Amino acid sequence: MSQYGTTRGPPQAAKDRTTDYHTALFRRLSWEGTVPLEIRVDPNELPANSDRGLACYFVQAPRVSYLPLLMPEIRRFLMDVVFDEAASKSLKEEDWWFEIDDGTLLKWHWPIGLIYDNHTILTTIRPGPSLATTSTTPLRLILHLASPPTDKLLLAANAEACKQAFMGQLKEADFIRWGNTKRMTGLRKADQDGLWEGIKEHNFEEYWRVASKVTPTTTANRPQSPGPPPSSVSMHGRPPSADTSAPPERDGAYNVRSVPVRLYLPDGPVIQDLVPPLLEDGSPHTLAHFLNTHAPLLFPPQPPAPPPSRTNPNPRPPSHQELAYPLVQGILAPLDSEMAWLGACLAGADGWVNVCVGISRK
Amino acid sequence: MDVDTDVTSGGGTARPWPIVDINPEALAALESYKKRDPSKVVVRFKAVGNAPIMKQNFYKITASNRFQAVIQFLRKELGWKAGDPLVPHTPPRFASPQLVLNKPQFTYINLAFSPAPDDTVSNLFKSFCTDGHLIVNYSTTAAWG
Repeated sequence: MSQYGTTRGPPQAAKDRTTDYHTALFRRLSWEGTVPLEIRVDPNELPANSDRGLACYFVQAPRVSYLPLLMPEIRRFLMDVVFDEAASKSLKEEDWWFEIDDGTLLKWHWPIGLIYDNHTILTTIRPGPSLATTSTTPLRLILHLASPPTDKLLLAANAEACKQAFMGQLKEADFIRWGNTKRMTGLRKADQDGLWEGIKEHNFEEYWRVASKVTPTTTANRPQSPGPPPSSVSMHGRPPSADTSAPPERDGAYNVRSVPVRLYLPDGPVIQDLVPPLLEDGSPHTLAHFLNTHAPLLFPPQPPAPPPSRTNPNPRPPSHQELAYPLVQGILAPLDSEMAWLGACLAGADGWVNVCVGISRK
Repeated sequence: MDVDTDVTSGGGTARPWPIVDINPEALAALESYKKRDPSKVVVRFKAVGNAPIMKQNFYKITASNRFQAVIQFLRKELGWKAGDPLVPHTPPRFASPQLVLNKPQFTYINLAFSPAPDDTVSNLFKSFCTDGHLIVNYSTTAAWG
């Protein structure tokens, strides 16, 4: 039997399409991940007769959710506790918008977990304690009640626009993986809506009932070297002859054309490129390789370990000062993580793996 | 026992964190990644359904632009020029000018999906270019929504 790394599930019969234990576990962990938010109404915009002492709302928000989906509960809180009746009637939710207390505008279409991680890495290059080391501190948001800067927010502040953006991201991820969007467009309307309902209700089963039809599987059939890797032959299409030996795992994580990944650096830019699951030599594309390819100045190639000697039979590479580190779903991701596995197990609900890079402090 | 008080001081203190503990090498690296890519890529616009057709549909667009800029450019090209009869020397850019009223509201890549408006042309080009072009379809109605 081939080797299974720590990130892979126990061997299973090739025909068994049920999700293995580890895959299900990491999907569940990603889904259940939450981040602490503190939402404070801009004091200058509070309507007359508001209860100023209470104009702050704390929520532990799901990473896979979106700000427009938090609006109803925030609104309910403000109407019940902070605003008086006259103010409640005059305020229009479509005029509301958020920024972080440092002035960063929050986009409606970013998953909340990504907003949090992207801000976390920003604090690693700013004076003051980095959010990465004080994870119990909530992300402080300011809620504005009027004059949204629509040109910068890009989307309307409602759940429908957010849903459209979410579906767009799922289709883009589908296209990245397979070169077409047949899996997504092949879903019935009720199933497509089920994905969004799953997010809205934060219902893992409802979401994965449909998402399992479009997300790559991790069961078996990772091509082992030696032997031609099926998907490294060409980025644009796999010759049918590559599928000779084992029965092809049509939807396997290591058979995709490319893994949907975006790399976020502190204060930008966001980098997206094709990320094949396997390298030319057939070995898995690791996070270390990905980072070294796209941000070599922050993730320089590791110097090789010295040759083994009698006194040091298991030499380790010389230690060097680490400049930066990757966060995936808020977790410090091991550099030997395989990109294909990340794509199947730690992607967000929109299908994308978001790798946020923090800068190490001395 | 060695205790590094600098690192282990508890949270909640107001002690200012010195910026000097951030590695200058890392900051220099970030600066270099922030530099905008001045190169241009070819974007090819294709009308879908009854959207107005552009006479010129190949454009070189700066790669560091966001997709939002492409959408704005497209709207401007379709609406503004044709709606300006005071420039007689401008050749008609549309097969049927009356269709200009149908402003494109929907844009897609490769007839497949709508990208996020804040994604860059450069990222989209790297992932989705076809024969050296980034194909942007535009429609007056939702087509692959």
